[in-house]
Amino acid sequence: MPLVIFIDDSETALASTRMVTGSMPIEVKQYTEAQVALAEIKAGMTPDLIITDLNMPVMNGFEFLKALREVPATKRTPTLMLTTETKPELKQQGKALGLTGWIVKPFNPAQLKQAITRVLRLPA
Amino acid sequence: MLMLNSIDELLTHIKDVQLDVIELSGESLMKMSSFMEKNSLEIDDDISTALQYQDIITQQLSATIEAIESMQKSIDIFSHAYKNDESLAEESVVKLKAKLEATLQDAKDKKSRFSGKSSELNVEEEIEFF
Repeated sequence: MPLVIFIDDSETALASTRMVTGSMPIEVKQYTEAQVALAEIKAGMTPDLIITDLNMPVMNGFEFLKALREVPATKRTPTLMLTTETKPELKQQGKALGLTGWIVKPFNPAQLKQAITRVLRLPA
Repeated sequence: MLMLNSIDELLTHIKDVQLDVIELSGESLMKMSSFMEKNSLEIDDDISTALQYQDIITQQLSATIEAIESMQKSIDIFSHAYKNDESLAEESVVKLKAKLEATLQDAKDKKSRFSGKSSELNVEEEIEFF
């Protein structure tokens, strides 16, 4: 099963994504700290899709993304930003860093599932 | 100076209340989501949105806590200058006013930035792919 990792400093945000994706044919790992996820990636974890928050303490979503692209195995791993931020300049910054897409919170469960299905090319 | 001390105490109190609200609202929704997961209850759009509002509440309150801390710092710098040289007080008041205004503007910007779609209930749901 494809591995999808979620990174968000909010436990409730992670709980809602966990419940939404529970019935999908994917393996899910969740992290409240981007630097912990990054350490596991550097140690060999190869996610098929990463969905991360932007505003997080210690390491934010952009800092994570930059570091992620420096790891050869995850240079092109599809990554979605899931955030309350709506500013076009931030979206542009994300795009320049190789983001796959931008989802604004609160997300619609069906659309989050569709986005994961589309990026991972899962059977609809 | 006494008035500034009172304002500082009031700001500290507001900050403490906000930290409690963040903790309690988080705990409350985590209990609800744990119950749902334990009983394999399906999440619908409304529950999903409710869970995500907690994240928005946390970010909004954290931004105002940041503003409070910045204001307290500015007040502290002013108080220090005033104690050292009362003749500098007038100049320091102008600087304090500018700093407080900048802090307020920053906090207002963050209110808008961290609202996500919660303030635009009729906005069309959309995920943007690049």
